[in-house]
Amino acid sequence: MVKYTTVSIPLNLHRRIEKLLEGKTGFKSVSDYVTYVLREVVAMHETRQIPEPFSVEDLTELKRRLAALGYM
Amino acid sequence: MKVAVFALDSVPPEMLFEKLLDKLPNTKRMYQRGMHGVLRTCHPPITVPAWMVMMTGKNPGKLGIYGFRHRKPSSYTEGYIVNSSHVKERTVWEILAEKGKRSIVIGIPPSYPVKHKENVTMVSCFLTPSQERDFTNPSELKQEILKITGGRYLFDVTFRVEDRERIKRELFEMTEKRFDIAEYLIKNNPWDLFILHEIGFDRLHHAFWKFFDPRHPKHIKGNEYERIDEEYYSMVDERIGRLMGMFPDDCITFFLSDHGSAPMMGAFCVNEWLESVGYLKFKQKPTNKVEIEKAEVDWSKTKAWGWGGYYARIFFNVAGREPNGIVPQEELEYEKKRLTQLIREIKDEDGRPMDNRVFEPESLYGIAMGDKPDLMVYFDNLRWRSAGTVGHNSIYLHENDTGPDDSVHSMNGIFLMYNPQKSYTERLVQVRAEDIAPTILSLFGLEGELKSIDGAVIREVKE
Repeated sequence: MVKYTTVSIPLNLHRRIEKLLEGKTGFKSVSDYVTYVLREVVAMHETRQIPEPFSVEDLTELKRRLAALGYM
Repeated sequence: MKVAVFALDSVPPEMLFEKLLDKLPNTKRMYQRGMHGVLRTCHPPITVPAWMVMMTGKNPGKLGIYGFRHRKPSSYTEGYIVNSSHVKERTVWEILAEKGKRSIVIGIPPSYPVKHKENVTMVSCFLTPSQERDFTNPSELKQEILKITGGRYLFDVTFRVEDRERIKRELFEMTEKRFDIAEYLIKNNPWDLFILHEIGFDRLHHAFWKFFDPRHPKHIKGNEYERIDEEYYSMVDERIGRLMGMFPDDCITFFLSDHGSAPMMGAFCVNEWLESVGYLKFKQKPTNKVEIEKAEVDWSKTKAWGWGGYYARIFFNVAGREPNGIVPQEELEYEKKRLTQLIREIKDEDGRPMDNRVFEPESLYGIAMGDKPDLMVYFDNLRWRSAGTVGHNSIYLHENDTGPDDSVHSMNGIFLMYNPQKSYTERLVQVRAEDIAPTILSLFGLEGELKSIDGAVIREVKE
């Protein structure tokens, strides 16, 4: 089970997010949205530390294969 | 109670539930006793991200995955291939693993590089560069697999060559071996959830659609591959039957597909068209086929360019975002609307209106993470693919720009659920890709584990 804690954000930012979420689907609350955005930012920073699993040769071959399979 | 999932890539309802059903005794039995329907897939209807949408319950915007390849931020020419590390959301097998439940997962994309997790026995997907790599969890499983498969395990077949006999041979070999592995793992591993993904259907459709579908514009009556769809589907049906004979009586089985397939009408040269409406300028217009990334584009005069694939991704050349951006940030929304309108007005070469669909990621998903395009375009509602190359001196192609291809993707995949302890008498349901993860978890009493999902538990499954 995921455990939760509380963080504080400026009230004005909270209002802006609420406004942003009006009419959008998939987010039940500002907390939901903030969690997603933070995950994204954290993931972006983590990604920089993730070693690229494909070598240059792999990538050349993969791109050729994906293009051949119609994905590109 | 156990759950098994047959993830049949690209199988359309009209093939499995209509055209071929009478030839598939195992599928037919489940069809008649279980519940089935159309699985409305995600946008875009592509293998990556569709399977991960199903396995996480999150839409592509939340996953931040829009296809196999993404553009590197701000770059005109650089992209990267999506791999398992880009999937940040928890999958059903990861959630089950945390609860001490064990899964066998074969080939679900993207699963390379393989993640080494306890309680998950895994064989990675067709993005695996070769069998020399670490493609199993646990790592030592690899040697067992190579032993079972005679030292040759095929992750995929490549088909853009006109050697159809070789493709056919490899297609059957690949799938048979995948089922051999599945049987071996079922026999030798305790499991609660079993998932087998088979990419062979997708390859069969792309390589042979015009041969087996009389509706295809290039169909030739009486050709030698006229019944290859029946041969392949029958082989899989027989192997599924054999595998299901190894399942206990309390195993609930799903058949799912990530999108449907349809005959390809042609390829639309998105960049040649963008040039024709003044959005793209070349320094030197190519006279031979070349990828847009290698063409001499005049970025100081270009407002937008596009990528090829089953759908088109449009990127605007935005000031302050791209290195030579010329579209001011404040005009981006206007330009998106204007281009959307122009795309909707495109006619086919015979002057008939095309049913072009244009989406803005944020509007589509609520939120769009990651390296998304500015616009997503389905030419003639996916019947025409997008050609990423330029230099054709035409906007319409009747061959795919990357070689012979016979089919495109459609939004309707399959859903079939079979519970040996219940009879639903051909009950019909409608489901969405995002509903799969919560539904599987609900069978284990774990539906509360998923937060902020875009789907819901399929009510009929729980009845």
